[in-house]
Amino acid sequence: MGPADEVFSISDLTAAVRTVLEGGLGTVWVRGEVVQCKVHGSGHWYFTLRDSAAQARCAMWRTYSQRAGRPPADGTEVFAQGRPTLYEAKGEFQFVVYRLLSTAGLGDQQRGLERLKAALDKDGLFDASRKRPLPRYPSRVAVVTSRDGAALHDIVTVARNRWPAAELLLVASRVQGDGAAGDLVAALKLVNRLQVELCIVGRGGGGREDLAAFNDEAVCRALAAVRVPTVSAVGHETDVTFADLVADLRAPTPSAAAELAFPDIRAVRRLAGDLGARLAGGLSRRTRLAAERLERTGDRLEVALTDTVARHRHWADRLAAQLDALSPLRVLERGYAVPRAQDGRVLRRVADFPAGRPFSLRVADGDVPAHAD
Amino acid sequence: MTTPPPGKPAALADELARLEEIVRRLEADDLDLDAALALFEQGVACLRSARERLAAAEVRVRTVLEDANGTLRLGEIDG
Repeated sequence: MGPADEVFSISDLTAAVRTVLEGGLGTVWVRGEVVQCKVHGSGHWYFTLRDSAAQARCAMWRTYSQRAGRPPADGTEVFAQGRPTLYEAKGEFQFVVYRLLSTAGLGDQQRGLERLKAALDKDGLFDASRKRPLPRYPSRVAVVTSRDGAALHDIVTVARNRWPAAELLLVASRVQGDGAAGDLVAALKLVNRLQVELCIVGRGGGGREDLAAFNDEAVCRALAAVRVPTVSAVGHETDVTFADLVADLRAPTPSAAAELAFPDIRAVRRLAGDLGARLAGGLSRRTRLAAERLERTGDRLEVALTDTVARHRHWADRLAAQLDALSPLRVLERGYAVPRAQDGRVLRRVADFPAGRPFSLRVADGDVPAHAD
Repeated sequence: MTTPPPGKPAALADELARLEEIVRRLEADDLDLDAALALFEQGVACLRSARERLAAAEVRVRTVLEDANGTLRLGEIDG
C-alpha cells in the first residue's frame, strides 16, 4: 500500500486531530498563570496559560469574556474552565476557556459566600420553621424566570399535563450574568403585588456555571420576603444555592418544581367523584335511618293501642261479671224466691200476706201460685 | 399606588374542604333529617362548582408588565 492509496489532506488531518482532541477530554478545569492577554476588537480574549514546565494557547470568546469582567493582568494565577481543541488554520492546539477565576479572587469569593451564608442563617432565613406548605390546588402561580429560557416552557408543559386549571403569570427576569440579581430582586418584589398563591423561581438547565444570582444576598432576602410559598428551581443537580435554602421547597429542575406545585387533575377529579358518591350515600343512608325509625315508631304505636284495647276489654269483662253477680236472677238461682202480689207488687212484710189472699212466688225459672193460710 | 390585576380566588381548595366536611357530617348519625337534607344540598352545590373548576379547559400563561408609572398589567404570551 503506497502513499497514494490513502492520502490525507492537511485539512483532513487537522479536522481528524481536532475531533480526537475535542472528544478526548471534554470540559476541564486547569490552573495556571496568565501571560500576554490580548483583547481583540471583536471582544474575544487571547492569552497563554503556563506553569513551570508547559504552556497552552487560550482563546476566550466574547460571550464568555463579557461575563468574566476585566482581562487578567500578566502573571495572574487563575482557574480556567474550558476544553481543548485544534485551531485548524494554524494547526495549533488551543484551549477554549469558558470561565476564568483568579485563585485569589476565588478565595475571596468563597469566603464571601461563607460570610453571607452565616448571616442569612443567623437571620433565620434557612430555618425549617419558616417553611410554608404549598397550596394544594393553586389557581394562580407566579413564575419568576427568563422570558425565553427553557424553564418557563418546562413549567407550562407540566402544568398543561397535570393541572390545566392553572393560570401562570410570568414575571420576566434575567437569571444569569450581569444584572440578573437586580432583576430577580425587582421581580420578587413585584410578585408581592400580584394576587397569586404560589411563586416558582428558577432557571433552566444549559449554562450551569453561573449560579451567582441565586447566591446573592439581596435575592435571598427578597425571596424570603415573598408573601406566598416559594419553590426554587435553579436547575442544578449538585450545587445547592442559598436561594434553594431560603425557598419553602427546593426542586432540582423547573419541571420538578411544576410537578411539586401542581396536583394531578385526574387524581383531584377522582377525589371529587368519591366525595360525590359519599355525599349521595350519606344522604340515602340518613333517609333510610329515618324511615327505619319511623317504622319502629309505628310498631310501638300499634303495640300501645293493642295493649289499651286489651286492657279495656278485660275491664269490661270484669264489669260484666260484677253486673251479672248483682242480677236478681242469680239470687233466685241460689234458691231464693220473691213473693209478689197479683198486681206485681213485691211482698216484703208479714202484713203483706193476709190469710187467704193469693200471691205468686217468683223463682228462677218461673212463677208459682200460692196463698197464705 | 397600583392595584394588582384581578384574579379568581383560590376557591377549589375551599370547596373540596367544605365538601369533605359535609360528607363527614352526613356520615355521622347524629343529624336530624332536615339538617341532613340541607347539608346535602350544600354538598351538591360545592360538588357542582368544584367539577366546573376541574373541567376548566386550558392553562393560561400571561406575562406581568409594569408601566412607567408603576401600574401592573397582564400581557398575553405564547406559552
